[in-house]
Amino acid sequence: MGIMDGLGEGFSVALDPTNILYVFLGVLIGTVIGVLPGLGPTATIALLLPITYELEPTSSVILLAGIYYGSMYGGTITSVLLRLPGEAASVVTVFDGHQMAMQGRAGPALGIAAVGSFIGGTLSVVGLILLAPPLADLAVQFGDPEYVALTAFGILLVTYLGTKHPVKALCMAALGLLLATIGRDLVTGTSRFTFDQVELFDGLDFVAVAMGLFGVGEILYNLEKTEKAEQIKSKVKNIWPSRRDFRDSSGAIARGSVLGFFLGVLPGGGGVISSLASYGMEKRRAKDPSRFGKGAIEGVAGPETANNASSTSAFVPLLTLGIPPNVVLALIYGALLIQGITPGPQLIDNNPEIFWGVIASMFIGNLMLLALNIPLVGFFVQLLRVRAGILAAFALLITMAGVFSVNNDVFDMWVVLVFGIIGWLMKKTGFEPGPLVLAFVLGAILEESFRRSMLLSGGEFSIFFTRPMSGTLFAVMALVVLYSSVMGIRRRRQRSQLPGVAEEELRATGLEAEPEGTAGVAATSGRTDGRADDDGVPGTGGGSTRAGGDRP
Amino acid sequence: MSKHLFRIAPLVLLLFGVAAMLQARDLSLGELSAPGPGLWPFIVASLLSLTALVLLFIDDPADYEPWTRGTVGIALGLVSLGVFIVLFEQIGFLVPAVLMLLIWLRLFAREPWRWAVPLAVIGAVVFHLVFVEALGVPFPDDIVLGG
Repeated sequence: MGIMDGLGEGFSVALDPTNILYVFLGVLIGTVIGVLPGLGPTATIALLLPITYELEPTSSVILLAGIYYGSMYGGTITSVLLRLPGEAASVVTVFDGHQMAMQGRAGPALGIAAVGSFIGGTLSVVGLILLAPPLADLAVQFGDPEYVALTAFGILLVTYLGTKHPVKALCMAALGLLLATIGRDLVTGTSRFTFDQVELFDGLDFVAVAMGLFGVGEILYNLEKTEKAEQIKSKVKNIWPSRRDFRDSSGAIARGSVLGFFLGVLPGGGGVISSLASYGMEKRRAKDPSRFGKGAIEGVAGPETANNASSTSAFVPLLTLGIPPNVVLALIYGALLIQGITPGPQLIDNNPEIFWGVIASMFIGNLMLLALNIPLVGFFVQLLRVRAGILAAFALLITMAGVFSVNNDVFDMWVVLVFGIIGWLMKKTGFEPGPLVLAFVLGAILEESFRRSMLLSGGEFSIFFTRPMSGTLFAVMALVVLYSSVMGIRRRRQRSQLPGVAEEELRATGLEAEPEGTAGVAATSGRTDGRADDDGVPGTGGGSTRAGGDRP
Repeated sequence: MSKHLFRIAPLVLLLFGVAAMLQARDLSLGELSAPGPGLWPFIVASLLSLTALVLLFIDDPADYEPWTRGTVGIALGLVSLGVFIVLFEQIGFLVPAVLMLLIWLRLFAREPWRWAVPLAVIGAVVFHLVFVEALGVPFPDDIVLGG
């Protein structure tokens, strides 16, 4: 199917009144949770997974995708107005966005962010259209060894790029792979790690695990840190940026689109890394870098464009290779699996309505976001009055009722609770749940392809290195491991030396880059819960996300 | 002693990994050319144990957040969720939902009673309507509705 035919079909799917409703719901929910500091896109998507059972596959992906890119818009609002990123990818917007707000230019800051996001998102959709079909054609020729390479590559990059501590992340990925083996072995029918519990014969339910780790775990963790609702002081007016603002930021928007697109496609990429990289790039390119941090509009336009572009292009590897590049996409992947659809190279041919429908919905969704954001900023800001405790209480009740509704089984509620506790403890001990869930989702494919490759080769590992594609991937993997180990050791030796421009700024403002998809509130380490303050211990985390510094 | 407390996490993971390796061995590993059901779990459990072992020595204590009074609150909240699940199975959704919302609204949102009670009751009823009446989810028989 050609691009034009595909798009035609896509728009006929996306313009279906039901799907228009889901695009709208998706971007609206996304914006709202982007604003609310206690909930990030991962938690929200995890909480809504049970609902996707009730929907058509296309509608469910349209809804979840809308939440993801919608949250990138919403996070901006609180970054600019309150210096409180509502979602992790908007952390850098704080530097110049909040300064602009203090100078009475909150309106143009939000306006340029919305326009930049729209342009970045739209250009990224075009890139997705151009890049995805040829990539899928290439991937059709992949055999089992290539899938082993690709899956392992995805897990590895997510553990290395998106996290603070690669060994810890790798450890969690291994745990995720191990948990994925619970249940009946599909090849031999042997029960593994079931301890004679009937409930475990089919393995742990992905929805319950994800809802526990991300939904409950994140809510609990944020609840421990969040302070109560804030009042907005600065008034927002003149949202539409002036002609001069557009001229100043046009370059940043263009560069942000391209940068965001490519960083989004990479495994381990996504909104957080892209916005950090774009900020660093703009500051380095600027004639007068000292303007940054004092309300330079490029410092808002670039990162906001980049994070939105990347949240769209992250769909490329998912829809063409069947490999989710980050945690949010892993959840969407899980939602598709639940529907009986395995994303992969055949998706474009077998389910063109999903592929093209989702793409077309992104055009519509970005348009809606632009229309929603400009007039409704004032309304979204009011949402900040909702206290984190109230939000948590209702979100948890929805989680419990929601997970029960999936299999009508109380056992799943216990799984959610147990994984909620694990997720919360992981957050507190610096282990990130992202790699675990990603590995859990990919575990079955990885094991199956590995075993088939071994059968194919008669037990020779050389099969992974002698075939051109898998050989190349493994070589790149080795390079990544080597490079980041060397960098890690080097940094350990010279602690004082700060790696990247954006990271320097992050430390200066007392912020931290949180993993993809989390609520950004934990990023503000100085702002802790009133009760925690009694003990005088603000949130202490490790360093910033590694990736910001590892980017050349 | 207390400064080595953070090593508990990698230690637990290590024990878990080793236990899984032993279990996987009992499942029959097979040959590389004909992998048995235990081979893959054995490989990933080894990776888990290895990384946990490394972490036992190199982990950064700064990653571990201190336990505060907020933590005690969270633990209480978790217990309340457990109680919710038990009650839910026994007496249906409405009563446990009101109780859970009440506890959470009082404990974490610090809502005064005059707000917490109506919010909890209305919230529970709305969720009941959405899940049972609109989505048709078969919740266990409800004591309030005379089930």
